[in-house]
Amino acid sequence: MNGFDRAKTITITGTVKQFKWANPHSWIEVEVVNAKGVPELWNLEMTAPGILARAGWKSTMLKAGDKATFGVHPMVNGDIGGQFVSVTFADGLTMTERGQQTATPGPAKQ
Amino acid sequence: MTMRRRFEVLIFVATALCVAAQTPPPPQLGALAPANIAKSRPKPPFDVTGTWQHGGGQNNNFRFSPPDGFKLTPFAQAHYDAARKATAEGKVYQDDIGNCWPAGLPVIMTRVWPIAMVQLPTAIYMISGFMNSIRIIYLDGRPHSDPDVVVPSFSGESIGHWENDALVVDTRYFVDDHHWLDGGIPLTDKFQMIERIRLIDKGATMEVEYTATDPKSWVGEWKWTKRFRRMDDTDITEASCLPDLNEHMPSVKAEHTGR
Repeated sequence: MNGFDRAKTITITGTVKQFKWANPHSWIEVEVVNAKGVPELWNLEMTAPGILARAGWKSTMLKAGDKATFGVHPMVNGDIGGQFVSVTFADGLTMTERGQQTATPGPAKQ
Repeated sequence: MTMRRRFEVLIFVATALCVAAQTPPPPQLGALAPANIAKSRPKPPFDVTGTWQHGGGQNNNFRFSPPDGFKLTPFAQAHYDAARKATAEGKVYQDDIGNCWPAGLPVIMTRVWPIAMVQLPTAIYMISGFMNSIRIIYLDGRPHSDPDVVVPSFSGESIGHWENDALVVDTRYFVDDHHWLDGGIPLTDKFQMIERIRLIDKGATMEVEYTATDPKSWVGEWKWTKRFRRMDDTDITEASCLPDLNEHMPSVKAEHTGR
């Protein structure tokens, strides 16, 4: 996988449209309202569900309509989308691909 | 024996030799044929049956990078330079794997998904958790196929034999397009790979020494050593490359590729 700026982690907050628990990659589709009030669809690329499951993930962890905050390695060219880093749920729980984490994501994008 | 009798014997022998020369050899028994599996063979020094995953860690990079001082052919150099340029621009160069082409050897061996291996006396079957790519190493003494008959593939044709504590595997007959080493170096139909496989750490680690040549892409032999760890607490699962998947993979979208 390339095209991601792994030196940078941004934060987006939005509404989950889809969470696909699939091989070889899981993914999340998140609707984010940008600074101009326009909704944008972010695709977040994840690792394999087998690895996620070992880290404590379940396929039911994210559902359409959930509101959450995501840490993302953005695309180098600035396009919408990126590599999943973390998700922080409304109750404060943060999950990365390696499991539960207490650290907060990087600086806010907007 | 009379002269006439001698002549008759000579004719008989000559006829028999002609018939033998025209009779095709018996077909190669399939690796799963019970009669092939049941043939008497020396006990192999180890059995790789299990689930394995590239271990990572120091001196065990998952990439098959060119060695220091490597020399590419002009054909491969053009791809390599274009790949470096694309990477510098944050793009993916010729991401065939991302677009559902098989990874093939050797890179399929070190993806982040485990590989299920089943060893029989006649063959080792490997199924990768990544796209369920299959690889078969034949151990039943068969030669490599006729190059005019064999169907080229992304994992080639692997023929193995045992040498002391190692399994030595010769793989050839690869496709000539959409097949890459890491770093944008193309692999061609002249690619050939020798693997020397051993089990170490009381069977917990599989060590593979790779020696690769491809005179259409580089000069000389390139060598790598990779170590894989046995994973007894996992299985591979069905995995397919689907259009629906790629629509949601930002890294493989066309606008990010250096095509």
